[in-house]
Amino acid sequence: MNVLSFNAISSLIYLAEISPPPKAIDPVAITNQLLNGVGIIGILLLTGLGLSITFGVMRIINLAHGEFIMLGAYTTFVLQSNFKMDLLMTIPFSFLFTALVGALVEVTIVRRLYGRAIETLLATWGLSIVLQGVVKLIFTAQLKYVKSPPYIRGNWTPFTIGGQAIEISYYRLFIIFMALLLFGITAYLLYGTTLGREVRAVTQNREMAKCLGINTSLVDMLTFAYGCGLAGIAGTVIASLKSVAPAMGQDYLVDAWMTVVAGGVDKLVGVLAGAVLIGESNAAIAYLLNDPTARVIVLAAVIVLIRYRPEGLFTVQKRG
Amino acid sequence: MAQALGQIQQSNFVPKKWQIINLAVLLVLIIFPFVAGTFQTNLMAKLLLFGILGVSLDLVWGFTGILSFAHGVFFTLGGYAMAYYLKLNLSATANNYGGNIPDFMVWNGLKELPWFIAPLQFFPIAVIAMVVIPAGFAYAIGSFIFRSKVSGVYITVITLAIASALTTFFVSQQAYTGGTNGITDVSKLMLFGMVVPPIGIYFIILAFAALTLAGSWWLTKSNFGLILRSIKENEQRISYLGYDVASFKIFIWTLSAGIAGICGGLFVPLNNFISPVYLGVAFGTQVVIWVAVGGRGTLFGPIIAAILLGQLQNSVDRITQDWQLIVGIILMLVVLFLPDGLMSLLPKKLLTSSSNKKLLASSSDQLEKA
Repeated sequence: MNVLSFNAISSLIYLAEISPPPKAIDPVAITNQLLNGVGIIGILLLTGLGLSITFGVMRIINLAHGEFIMLGAYTTFVLQSNFKMDLLMTIPFSFLFTALVGALVEVTIVRRLYGRAIETLLATWGLSIVLQGVVKLIFTAQLKYVKSPPYIRGNWTPFTIGGQAIEISYYRLFIIFMALLLFGITAYLLYGTTLGREVRAVTQNREMAKCLGINTSLVDMLTFAYGCGLAGIAGTVIASLKSVAPAMGQDYLVDAWMTVVAGGVDKLVGVLAGAVLIGESNAAIAYLLNDPTARVIVLAAVIVLIRYRPEGLFTVQKRG
Repeated sequence: MAQALGQIQQSNFVPKKWQIINLAVLLVLIIFPFVAGTFQTNLMAKLLLFGILGVSLDLVWGFTGILSFAHGVFFTLGGYAMAYYLKLNLSATANNYGGNIPDFMVWNGLKELPWFIAPLQFFPIAVIAMVVIPAGFAYAIGSFIFRSKVSGVYITVITLAIASALTTFFVSQQAYTGGTNGITDVSKLMLFGMVVPPIGIYFIILAFAALTLAGSWWLTKSNFGLILRSIKENEQRISYLGYDVASFKIFIWTLSAGIAGICGGLFVPLNNFISPVYLGVAFGTQVVIWVAVGGRGTLFGPIIAAILLGQLQNSVDRITQDWQLIVGIILMLVVLFLPDGLMSLLPKKLLTSSSNKKLLASSSDQLEKA
């Protein structure tokens, strides 16, 4: 146990030594940082939304989620480089393409493994390796770049504090707008349509749903495909932020998982809550300390959160 | 914990057929380095280590049902302990940077050795740290998460978060950990004033592998092992029978992390470096793949899988660079069509023996489940 406390102390010392001397609270910097957090929220929400469908609704542990994001990004890259298409125009195509791949995956792999969570996890991890490998074979490992539309460039200055401008780039606003739009559409599909009611019926009681004449295997396929399609859209939107590469999905996988699990998986609103919570606390801690430390602290906080509330923060407690 | 320890008692003996097979395999592995070249010896030593790392994961996953992506973390913590020792001893004897602190610390502006790294320059402390740091870390995590209602997938998500957080942490602490490069250019392992040759390291690893396997075999066949397997089958029922499930889980989790730490420690003199790559989710998954492909709940499965996949990679790498693609396909095929892994291809008769009724009963139970 001595070594343990020794570890704890030394990591505290690490933190103390790397953290810069306390800054005076600068209203401009902190507002900018919080707006930065809004951008992070957008990305988390976008990448987590698809997962909240496949995991939250269907209870499928999809470790290939990041690769569907990557497929969406590559779809945009191909359409842009071959047909000079606008990024916004490629969104439906990347949705359709990744949804199609998702449907195929559901029929060939996931369907065989329903009810066996760990097997699904392993198979989708295998799938993620295969998808990365195939994309690498076709496009090589070279980084590709995607152009954002010319009309969403530059920064927006909503207001100024003491003569200093508060800025947020239009693209970040676009990301958060897309994320909220997709969130709204998904919520409507899930809670406002017959198909959504069928989806919820199947997840609540598969046998009963079947008895009532719902084509459960079709519903499963469509739901999974939709979740993958959402990941594809996320890929398209994120593509122009960074470069496009076969392994890019890995960067988003863990964060997307944390978002979904932290917020709670029973209700769709959980993913929004998770994104806001993780995004803003990340931005705030990064402002006070630095980026890696913020990530470590946020991940540790999520672990503690899961420990005490495995259902997530915003889930109503159920009686077992 | 006391209750958990009490369950480790003298248990079944190894069936005769297995004894013969084991001895034969051991003999082959002893002769191996004299027949094969240095390259093959080093590769085999590495694969044996990876196999044992797989076994350590299998103890918690295959036998107890806790899937962890954090075994790479325990491995790497042990590895860093050993790497600091070797690096510091290099600095003491043959360094070009002045002072006795490692090059990466000099580059990052450290003037003196941090006090929490300094003790690692002594061999006994490094060896103890190699086991105790990963095991202690695992114990802390284990006592935190296993004494709650968190289970199944959420534990796995937690291990993902741990791997991800520690990777970020080690990469960001460049002055102390060497950042992305990790600790490179370490000195050769010295024992009793002599440099240990590659073949010596091979035999140390082989001995460690044999001991760990024997120990794990004994542990899993004991009453303790039976309880572990019952926890995997039906956790609730076992706790209703009056067992403190959490303490069993914490014990096996800590033990497994300790074994993983030793693997990491032995890996450094072989590999000559350690880096945050081994902390990451990707390496953690690699360990999971060895266990899944070899066969969960078998002790030889992970080793066989690690050796087969490693040798395959070695031969395929000459032809194509897309080794990972092949691993992915193998993993998917195994999960879909061979859920119990390669070991389930062996004839069932080998695995059971009439003199071993408890084993027979438990394995027929498993057959029914499957």
